[in-house]
Order: sequence, then structure tokens, then C-alpha cells
Amino acid sequence: MKKDNILIFGIIIALVIAVAAPFIASSNPDGLESAFFGIFGAKEIHGSELNEDAAVAAEEQVQEITGNTFSYAAPFPDYSIEGLAKMGEALAIVAGTILVLLVAFGLGKAFSRPG
Amino acid sequence: MIGLHIPDSFIPLLQAAVYWVIALVFIALSLRWARAEMREEKVPLVAVLAAGIFAIQAVNVPIPWGTSGHMVGAALAAIVLGSPFAAVFVLTLVLIVQGVLFGDGGITVMGANIINMGVIGGFVGFYSYKGLNRAIRNPYPAAFVAAWLSLFVSALACAVEMAIAGTFPLGLGLFSMGLYHAVIGVIEGAITTVALYLIVTARPDILPKESGVTA
Repeated sequence: MKKDNILIFGIIIALVIAVAAPFIASSNPDGLESAFFGIFGAKEIHGSELNEDAAVAAEEQVQEITGNTFSYAAPFPDYSIEGLAKMGEALAIVAGTILVLLVAFGLGKAFSRPG
Repeated sequence: MIGLHIPDSFIPLLQAAVYWVIALVFIALSLRWARAEMREEKVPLVAVLAAGIFAIQAVNVPIPWGTSGHMVGAALAAIVLGSPFAAVFVLTLVLIVQGVLFGDGGITVMGANIINMGVIGGFVGFYSYKGLNRAIRNPYPAAFVAAWLSLFVSALACAVEMAIAGTFPLGLGLFSMGLYHAVIGVIEGAITTVALYLIVTARPDILPKESGVTA
């Protein structure tokens, strides 16, 4: 395969994954969250039931423990675009993927060893 | 969707600042690596890998115990680009975009996330791949095990940071993080191996000799 072709193929794969992600991704808590909820009593370590109230309480409790109350309002929290549901998530992840591609290319050019 | 991404509230500010300082040292080293070793013709590959890693990190795969996990991609970046610093370079960029635009991973704790996923993931992934590939002379099982190990060790490092922070007790933190990420690591290993196979099959010459893959 030509070099340009493999790069284009790679970009297409990344974009297909980005579009599909919100529709195929699991909404279960991820590894770190799940460990956190387990340790703070909102779920069993080996269980799958999440107690939503206990989960909210756990998030308040951890702020008290660490004293880190810094909060930052991201423009597209959890890859969501207000009012656009799943299509908005797909759009957000596609936009993020393209942004990463462009920024990595730009920074790569700026910092690479000139050929 | 955070995976291994620590949110702000999990680490006290002072400790978070220490992790940022350590992360900045490795970011500086990764930029020095880029200047010295990353040839300009490699830049499109770096960019495509970064974009692919960003996209695949949005795919949380369900695992047992009501939990999910996603690939991190540090081992893949390090193996394909031939240096652990490549993983630091790529993962730092991905984590900045995730944190700043999407609130995925905290801002004050981003240094810790860069250390866990970029630095530890990249170094464990790269050197375990090198050692294993030299021993068994087959890049694919070597990549699978190295990728599994890179995620697993990143998760244990995160548990240790949580213990220092006072957020998790050490034993229970290591156990639950280890348990979940031992399973998520299988996803990391599988995708890393398939991606490496596809890249090698399409363009064997694209890999640096440090990767130890001959078609």
C-alpha cells in the first residue's frame, strides 16, 4: 500500500470509530469510577448495581477528603453538545478527532527533525 | 467515559502540582526526542495515530462487574513510532483535548493522567515489548502482552496515587483497579496487536528498526 493510502485509510478508520462510539460505547462506570464507587459504598466491587444517591454522596465525600474543589466547565462535557443527544456526541467526537489530527500534525511539524 | 482519567476532586492540589511538575519534565523530554529523532516524514503517521487513539478512547467496552473500559493506546504509539517518548507526545496531546474541551479527566490532575497513561504506559509498553520480542522473536504476542502490561501498570500507579491522596485505601484500591484493568488490558492488547498487524501488513517499511518487526 502506498504511504498516502495507509494514512488516508487510518483517518477513515478513526472517523468511523468516532461516529460509531456514542452508539456502541457502554455507559457502565469505567474502571477508575467503578473502583471509586465500590470503595465509597455506592456499588459492590464485584457487583453491577449502582446506587445513584450513594454515587452522588461519594462525589461530595471525596471533595471533602482531598479538599480539591476545583471545577472546570468544559464546553462539551462528556462529549455532549447541548440539545443534540447521540448525534451531538458523534459530532463532538468527530470534531475532537479532527482537532487532534490537526494539532498533532502542526506540533509534529514544529518539533520534528527536518528531513 | 473516563477510563483511567482522574477527575479533579480525587487528588489534593499540592500533590496534583507535583505530578504536573514531573509530567512537564517528561513533556520537555518528549519534545527533545521529537527534535532529535522524529523525522519530518513521520509527522503524518504521528498525527493519524493520535487521532485514532483519541477516537478509540471514546469506545467504552463493557466488562463484568457493571464496569467498562477503553483502550489507552500508549503501547501502540510507542511501538509503532519506536520510542516511549512518542507515547508521551501523543497521549499528552490527546489528554489536553479531552480535558479542556470535553471535561474528560481533570485540569489540576492532568499531570497525573499524563504520567499514568503517557509516561508509565509508554515506557512499560515500549520496554516490555522490546524485551519480549527479543526473547520470543514474534512481534504480535509481544505487543499483546506489552500492551496488557502497560495498561495494568498504569492502573496500579493510579491506585498508588489514590492512596497517597487519601482517596482509596492502598490494598482495596490496588485490588479493584488491578481486577478491572486486568480485564480492560485484554482489550488494550487485542486492539494494539490488530493495529500493529494492519500497519505492518500495509507498510512494513513504516516501522522504525527499534520496533523489531521484519515483514
